[in-house]
Formats: sequence, C-alpha cells, structure tokens
Amino acid sequence: MDMSRYLRKFAAAAAAGVSLFAATASWAGEITIWCWDPNFNVAIMKEAGARYTAKHPETTINIVDFAKADVEQKLQTALSSGTSDALPDIVLIEDYGAQKYLQSFPGAFAELSGKVDFSGFAPYKVQLMTLDDKVYGMPFDSGVTGMYFRKDYLEQAGFKPEDMQNITWDRFIEIGKEVEAKTGKKMMGLDVNDAGFIRILMQSGGQWYFDDEGNLNIENNAALKAALETEQKILQAGIHKPAAGWTEWVSTFTSGDVATVITGVWITGTVKAQADQAGKWGVAPIPKLDIEGARHASNLGGSSWYVLESSDVKDEAIDFLNEIYAKDVDFYQKILVDRGAVGSLLAARTGPAYEQADDFFGGEKVWQNFSDWLAQVPSVNYGVFTNEVDTAVTANLADLAKGAPVDEILKKIHSQAEGQMQ
Amino acid sequence: MAGLRTGGLKRYYDVNGWLFIAPALALISIFLVYPIIRSLVLSFYSGKGMMMRFAGFGNIERLASDPVFLAALTNTVVFFVVQVPIMIMLALILASVLNNPDLRFKGFFRTAIFLPCVSSLVAYSVLFKSMFAVDGVVNSALVALGLVEVPIPWLTDPFWAKVLIILALTWRWTGYNMIFYLAALQNIDKSIYEAARIDGVPSWGRFLYITIPMLKPVILFTTIVSTIGTIQLFDEVYNLTEGRGGPANSTITLSLYIYNLTFRYMPSFGYAATISYVIVVMVAVLSFLQFYAARDRS
Repeated sequence: MDMSRYLRKFAAAAAAGVSLFAATASWAGEITIWCWDPNFNVAIMKEAGARYTAKHPETTINIVDFAKADVEQKLQTALSSGTSDALPDIVLIEDYGAQKYLQSFPGAFAELSGKVDFSGFAPYKVQLMTLDDKVYGMPFDSGVTGMYFRKDYLEQAGFKPEDMQNITWDRFIEIGKEVEAKTGKKMMGLDVNDAGFIRILMQSGGQWYFDDEGNLNIENNAALKAALETEQKILQAGIHKPAAGWTEWVSTFTSGDVATVITGVWITGTVKAQADQAGKWGVAPIPKLDIEGARHASNLGGSSWYVLESSDVKDEAIDFLNEIYAKDVDFYQKILVDRGAVGSLLAARTGPAYEQADDFFGGEKVWQNFSDWLAQVPSVNYGVFTNEVDTAVTANLADLAKGAPVDEILKKIHSQAEGQMQ
Repeated sequence: MAGLRTGGLKRYYDVNGWLFIAPALALISIFLVYPIIRSLVLSFYSGKGMMMRFAGFGNIERLASDPVFLAALTNTVVFFVVQVPIMIMLALILASVLNNPDLRFKGFFRTAIFLPCVSSLVAYSVLFKSMFAVDGVVNSALVALGLVEVPIPWLTDPFWAKVLIILALTWRWTGYNMIFYLAALQNIDKSIYEAARIDGVPSWGRFLYITIPMLKPVILFTTIVSTIGTIQLFDEVYNLTEGRGGPANSTITLSLYIYNLTFRYMPSFGYAATISYVIVVMVAVLSFLQFYAARDRS
C-alpha cells in the first residue's frame, strides 16, 4: 500500500546494518536530555555536550530545561503510561529517588555496569544506583556537606576560625549562644518544615531511615535519635532563625542574619553570589554527633544521570556520559570553577582547580577540603521510601520544637512511615 | 422504496441521529468513560509503580489505617465546612451592597473584588507567601497596629497555616461567587422590594426574606460548585506549602495526597485511584444533600 514507508524502513535497516560494520562509533543521533536548574545542571550539561560534540560533530545534544518537580512528574507519567516516545534519552534523577525509579519501573533504565568503570567514583554514590549488583546510572554531583561560617561575626564573639574546626554539636550550640550574646546574630537558619537538616545529621552518623535490607529503621536508629535530639537542643536554645521554605532559608544567610550555613557544597555558588561578603566566609567540616561511628562528613542532595533503555540512541548516550563524566578530569575542573560543582569522580580531585585557593573564602583551599570530606561520607541505603519517611519526620518537627520526648517522636514517625510504605 | 415506509423512515432518522452524535460519543467514551472505568479497576490493584498485582479491597483497608489519609480527609472537611459558608455569606453581602443603585464607583469595586479570581494562581500564591512570612507585610502591620504582640507564624504553625489557606481561598473566590449573585439580583423584580418597603419591612428583613429566597437557585449552584472546588482543593495548598501540605500535615488535602502518592512518593497508582474515588463519593453525597436541603417543599 504505502511503498514509501516500506522503503524508508528498509533504508533504516540497511543503515543500521552498515553501522554495525563501522569500526569506530560514528553515530549521528540526537541525544535529548532532561534536567533542572539552568545555573547548575543545565549549564554543566551544556559544557559536557560541547566537549563531546567537539570530538563527535555528528552528534547533536538537545538539553531540555524543566523545573525539578516537572522533570519528575513527566518522567513518572511517561514511564507508567508505557509510552517511550515521550521520554528523553538521558534524564537527571535526584539520588534520594534513584531506587524508587529503578525498582518501580524495572527495565526502564539502561544498565551501565561493564560499560563504565565505577571503581573511580565515590562509593556511596555508586551504591545508591545499584540494584541486584547492576549499576544503572552515571554518578554526577555530590552533596557533600560543610559548615560555612562568617569569620567576622565569630571574631566579634571571640572565636577564631580554628575554633570551628572539628567541633561537636554541643560546642556548636555553646558558640551559637556566645555569638548571639555578642553580635545579636543567630547561629544558623533553620527551615522548620524541612527534614533536610535531620538527614544531614543522620547520615553523618552512618545510618538512614532504612537498614541495608530496606526495612524501616526508626525506633532503634541511634543516628536519627541523636539528630532529632540535636535539632531539639538547637530549637530550645533559640540560636536559629526560623524560615518557612527554601527562599526564606536562603535569605537568612544572603542577608547576613546568621553566622553559619550547614548544607551541601552546591550552595557555594549562592554564598559566593553575595560579592559584598567576600573574604568574610570560612569553611569547616560539619560538627559531629555524639555517637559511635559518627563522622564530620555527610551528604545532602546530589543527583545522577540515567540513560533510558527505550532510547533509540542508547549506546551513543552511554558513550557520551562515559567519555565526559567518567574520564574527563579537565571537565570536572571547569565545572568546579564555573559552577561550584563537586563531582563524584575521585580522580578529579587531583586536578589543578581543586588545589586552587579561593579569595572569597580568604584564600582557603576550600575545594580540597570538600573533596577530602567527600571520601569520608558514610555510605547508606537511601531505599525507595525516603520521601515518605521524610514526610513523616517533617510532620513531627512541630512537636519536636515544643519539647516532646524524642523517643515518643520516633514512635510517631515509625507509625506514620509504616502506613506509607505499602 | 424501503426508505419511504414509516418503519424505514424512523430507522433512517435514528441512524442519522446516531451518526451525528457518534463523534462526540466516541470522544466521551475514550476520554471520559474509559478512564473512569479504568481508574475504578486500578483502585483494586496495589504495588510499586508498574509492578502491580490484584489486591481486592486492600486499598480500602489501607485507607482506614493511614494517618496521612485521615489527616487529609479531616483537613478537606474542615476547609469546606469553614470556608464555603464564610465565602458564600461574604459574597452575598458584597453583592447586595454593590447592587445598591446609589453607590458610587460601583464598576471599580466590582472589578476589584472580581479581579483575584482571574489573577495567576502561582503569582498570588507567591505573593501570599511573602506577605505572610514571619517578617512579612501582614505581620509588620499587625504588630505596628498593636493587634498582636509577637508575629503570627502563618506558615509554620499548624493552626495558622490552615487559617492562611482559608484566607487565600476566600480572597480568590469570593468575587467569583459575587458575580453570580449580582447577575441574579438584576432579575429580581424591583416592585417586590418596593411593596416590602411600603409595608415597612426594614432593610435587613428585605435582605433575609426577599433577596435570599429569590436567590436560592443561584445560592444552591454556587454552594455546590464551591464545595466541589474545595473538596478538590490542590493548587493553593501545593503552592503555599511547596507541595508538602505542612506544617505537620495540617494543610494536606485529598488531592494533594493523590498527587504525592503518584508523583512524589513511590508511585502507588492503585491507592491514589482509591482516594480519588473517595472524592467522587464525597462530592456525590454532598451534592445530593444540598439538593435535598434546598428542594421545593410545595
């Protein structure tokens, strides 16, 4: 009937056959990529694309910029409806959600183990994208945490930068009280509707909402308990400036109202955006929980790239990720300097940018610090229900602030989370 | 010729009629009837994402023991029980005030009150968020006026967060309902009011015994529409609380929970479909009750 269609199919099949015989990969596809944040992920992916197309001019890289919630919603809708036409070739997924996608949509993502050398990446990052001993993603940025502090405020309160290194949370609170007494500034901004701070503390204690088998780990979770106790102490000491939502939280330090910021390294760009605060900031490892095995290092957020199994340029997309993200050390120097992105490729640490001192932080080698801490981040199992348990934790933060016993709060979190995990 | 016989002619018209509505019927079947049936079937399945298996009434049992669902249900009921009457009464009062022929700048007031419901939802949510921040305009004003001692934690206290949602809803939708009443008020015969005035009925009496009964069909309509709207409440809560329904699940609604179950959490399509049927049942029952309460008793 429609001969031209058959002819086209035949031509495509012939072309595919030819490409099989080609010795080197000479692809001519268009790789579509979904990600969020034009100043970070999108810009970094553009840089990666430019590097790849310089060597492979036949390849076109098409980056689509959405809000994070929209990327997740579109991905989830397309995967559940089973229409692969609507899907991109590469998608960015936040690490907390990785297992959720891998487990609820089996076969949707391309396996990368065997094609990429994963031994070069931070182990915690590889583990979170592994399912049944198969690795499915390309590790990207790390959310390794640090404590940014205002040297000027602390000096007024009588503390030197050395006094902020390797402290405990109790000491942090003591310093906070001093700072408020002497300068009238609060020690930190705290989003009272968000469990991010709890997650930082809990992971620094080497545990998560789940054990290694993915079972709920709340009531006997020493790290979570210590995290909740610490937040309660901070709330009761009143050394925090409360914030509702992300924007308000960011403005606590951009407006100079607080003396420290404790979060993932990706905030560096925002901190440095306040040019008038140059030279006033220092960086220290986060304070340590008072439990066995706790470290001065943790992680918040971070995401990775995933190739869709249904992609018609799957091999090309994998080759692209492998060539840039798993091998190009120079690329990591560029995105570090331009965007403040600390990648999880360990070899990148030896590059020149990591050795550089940053004038904004008074000439400290902050990047070297962050990459040292990166190697120390405890590896935990993010499981598939992090969002659910996070909601349960958030729901109980109001009671925590009112001074309810932590054991009781753990019980409540457990029972709400249990109802959600079905 | 067969077509000229009466039976044949009837069939000729029948076939033609069906042919005319066939496109619409096909579209309705594909995009309305099929999804409704499919989601009913879906509500009997459970599992992670696409790994679904038949669960019978498992999802319905899960409803009873799910604290978040119960919180969402309670919040949704609180929102419409408190908000709908406030808004309807406010709209009625505003409409009858703005219907006063002696009032000056009527057009301006009508437009000003109607404007919120055509403004962009996201824009107004962002605005509300900054206005009601701890150190926002509203708190500064309240403290400056001496109405409150300390700033009200609008977005971080479970009680005040509910109040804020109700305020936002009322601000946005009162004008919309008012327009219906204004239109209906034009249709009430002036001579009825005139007769009442001659009989010495005071203005509140005219409002209570003439205006309200005459507006009954419109009030019924707006109440049902508002109730359905509030039961399906999603946008305001999503935008004001960053999709969390916080603090402490105090503003989570059934629709927001469905969204979270589908897009934020481990996708649980079956359970989400079950909750969407809870909304269907609630809307059906409440609409029936409202029709029943407002029926003509003659």
